[in-house]
Amino acid sequence: MDLFKKTLDPIIALAIIALLDVFLFVIVGAWTVGGGETMLAGLVAKYVLGAKTLARIPFWTLVFTPTWAYWKIYISLGMGFGAFVAAVLSKEFYWRVPRHLSEWVMITIGGLLMGIGIRLSFVCNVSTFFGLTPEMNLGGYLAVSGIVAGAWVGSFIYKKVLEA
Amino acid sequence: MITVTGQCVAAFIFGSTVGLLVQRSRWCNTSALRDAMLFKNYRNTKALLVAMMILTLGFTGFISVGNGNPMRFDVGINQFIGLFLFGIGMVLAGACTVSSWVKTGEGNIGALWALLFLIIGLFVSSLLWSFTYWPPAPATMTGQPNLAALQFGFADALTLQQKTGIPAIVFGLIQFAALFGLYRLILRKERALQTARGQVQPEAAKSSPQVDAAMPEPAIGAVMAGAAGASGSYQEEA
Repeated sequence: MDLFKKTLDPIIALAIIALLDVFLFVIVGAWTVGGGETMLAGLVAKYVLGAKTLARIPFWTLVFTPTWAYWKIYISLGMGFGAFVAAVLSKEFYWRVPRHLSEWVMITIGGLLMGIGIRLSFVCNVSTFFGLTPEMNLGGYLAVSGIVAGAWVGSFIYKKVLEA
Repeated sequence: MITVTGQCVAAFIFGSTVGLLVQRSRWCNTSALRDAMLFKNYRNTKALLVAMMILTLGFTGFISVGNGNPMRFDVGINQFIGLFLFGIGMVLAGACTVSSWVKTGEGNIGALWALLFLIIGLFVSSLLWSFTYWPPAPATMTGQPNLAALQFGFADALTLQQKTGIPAIVFGLIQFAALFGLYRLILRKERALQTARGQVQPEAAKSSPQVDAAMPEPAIGAVMAGAAGASGSYQEEA
């Protein structure tokens, strides 16, 4: 199939995703990833620390009670699965490991900052651009301003690191 | 109403399709913002805007006829602060929430590492919430403004429709027009960049894959590799 030979035009890909997202919005809710990741963090913590210890942390009893019966988790798992299938079919699957220590450090700090950001705002980049802003939510506009400012600062740091 | 299992199955099918399409198109939210700022490359930004235009019409259209599931979501200053940190993090990690899952599916250990630390960051900051309780969810997640806690309650197309009596699609059309204007602006800028490159260095413009909208990744990788003096296999994929 041509799909697995050539790179797909991102405009076509995103237009299809948008139409599917509207469908998902009608049956359950708009596309989001942060919620599923928060729940996954809770489930991992429950497994590692035990349910009793986790119950002493208010966030995991008042806001997110860890459960597998939460649809947003399966969007995340599905994305990994779909990408794996696509990569295998187009012979693009291979192990890629960052080579430089500076990359590992940047990925670690970046990952931590993303996690802290999601927790603080209850929003991730996907719900910002594909959920809240198209729903014309004021929180979406605040989040877009935040992410653009953050990406600008991040690009500045990134450039400095590359030049160093 | 759809059952919980039905919701999870629908979410998994949706996620798998998204993973497949994102993998095949090499779309990335991080590069939609970063490449536009650093390299004046708008390939991913344009796709993002097209999706947002479709979604705005779709969502507000369904809200107008009393359908759909808009997020009942309390707006607060925390959205700005949180996404500011997220924005810095995603550029440093070279992956956002979507591409970290997609790249993990492709066998990228760096992306898996980013996901792992995203989850660690989430958990560690959830401990912090226990001491400060800010943003004060769910105590103030009532839809009512709580200005002392910097929370503004619910505010979206649905509340606009309920308060003004004007169908949400009217507001949606205004947002669509704004997004379309931005899209046109980018197209004009791209054309200006192309002519500028063509006039100054016709040879470089022809051979530079950076202006080639179909495959800009190697160009970005090359720029980065050139700047860093070494090529990082992880960042090239961003």
